Amino acid sequence: MTFSLLHATDFADRLLYKIIPPLKAGMIVLADRYAYTAFARDATRGVDQRWVRELYSFAVRPDLALYFRVPIDVSLDRLMARRVKLKFYEAGMDLGWSTNPVESFRLFQGKVLNEYDRIVEEFGLEVIDASGSITDQQRIVRALIARKVRTSSASDDVEITDEQLV
Amino acid sequence: MSNSSEPPFEDPGANGKIQPGAYYGRGIPYLPINQYPGKLIAIEGTDGVGRSKQIQLLREWLEVKGYGVVETGWTRSPLMQPTIELAKSSNTLNKLTFVLLYATDFADRLEKEIIPALKAGFVVLSDRYIFTALARAGVRGIDRAWLRSLYAFAIAPHLVFYLKIDVETLIGRVLDSRGMDFWESGMDLKHGDDIYDSFRAYQNKLLREYASMADEFHFRVVDARRSIDHIQDELRRQVAAFLEPTERPAEAAAVR
Repeated sequence: MTFSLLHATDFADRLLYKIIPPLKAGMIVLADRYAYTAFARDATRGVDQRWVRELYSFAVRPDLALYFRVPIDVSLDRLMARRVKLKFYEAGMDLGWSTNPVESFRLFQGKVLNEYDRIVEEFGLEVIDASGSITDQQRIVRALIARKVRTSSASDDVEITDEQLV
Repeated sequence: MSNSSEPPFEDPGANGKIQPGAYYGRGIPYLPINQYPGKLIAIEGTDGVGRSKQIQLLREWLEVKGYGVVETGWTRSPLMQPTIELAKSSNTLNKLTFVLLYATDFADRLEKEIIPALKAGFVVLSDRYIFTALARAGVRGIDRAWLRSLYAFAIAPHLVFYLKIDVETLIGRVLDSRGMDFWESGMDLKHGDDIYDSFRAYQNKLLREYASMADEFHFRVVDARRSIDHIQDELRRQVAAFLEPTERPAEAAAVR
């Protein structure tokens, strides 16, 4: 619970300083992870799902949300290829499911991926198969974004006001 | 961002469903709190109303009577206190971030101090509780329904004492002791440069917020304009009646 709120506090600060001002200025904001990460991670850690969604109700809904989906083995292989050690929280070691970091990662991230699948449906995220090549993925991303940027510039950007935030 | 078609959290107290000692809302799923022996007593009231003194006296009395007592207080979590102090000392604090910092501090103390103490059978005396957060954020225009759902993981205290004071008496006391400070005067709300006017306006608003919560959260209102001893006697009478319903109330005052 504390973990969840710490992240939400950090998110609120970034939202108000780094996300909303550029949006108001008409810029495109690229967010590497968003509230959906919190929904997936916190639910896996046993926090009430509805509570987390209510908590983040101050967040701006993204115009486009991309979810790079990858099987657990592929992500594990990629991480192991680059680093020797998995991060403590990334592997969900705090949950005490396994003392073996790789096994713990597999259990924890497996559940996180299941949560993401539910979130994809609930919030209409665009799923991109991330086991393919970077070039292929980038082509898809560009196509999706190009379509979105065209449609929203035609329909005048959405105004964000402070009232919606609190 | 909430996309749920289910109804939002129950509004605590909206239909008198608050159960002392239980979570207000859906709570913390991984920390079930059924059947624990401890008791949670919250002492609420605005800045400078005399909460700390009353808690100190209450603690001594309870310990003499043989109770294990744990104190917890607003922004006192080891994890968050330095961050909150730092954020207050700079001017980068947005009111929403402020609210979440407080909530994080509270969550940390709830998980690490309050719930373990309750499970171990302690009487937990809380110097301020979520009502302080609700009042301060409410004055700053944060959505009340959102605040209540945010704090749905809090435990409803067995007793909530609200030390009630009027702003005139409060001003006298604060000036008599340590003077008015920036945050207690709500200077961040930018009512003006005059700290006295700001203090009066801000504390008036806070008192109205507290008053509006009295019924919703079952406050036991205690007149804080009286002497320390008078207030303490009343607190002890009520605490004794709650902890030891069979004991004669007169005994409570006698063990001073």
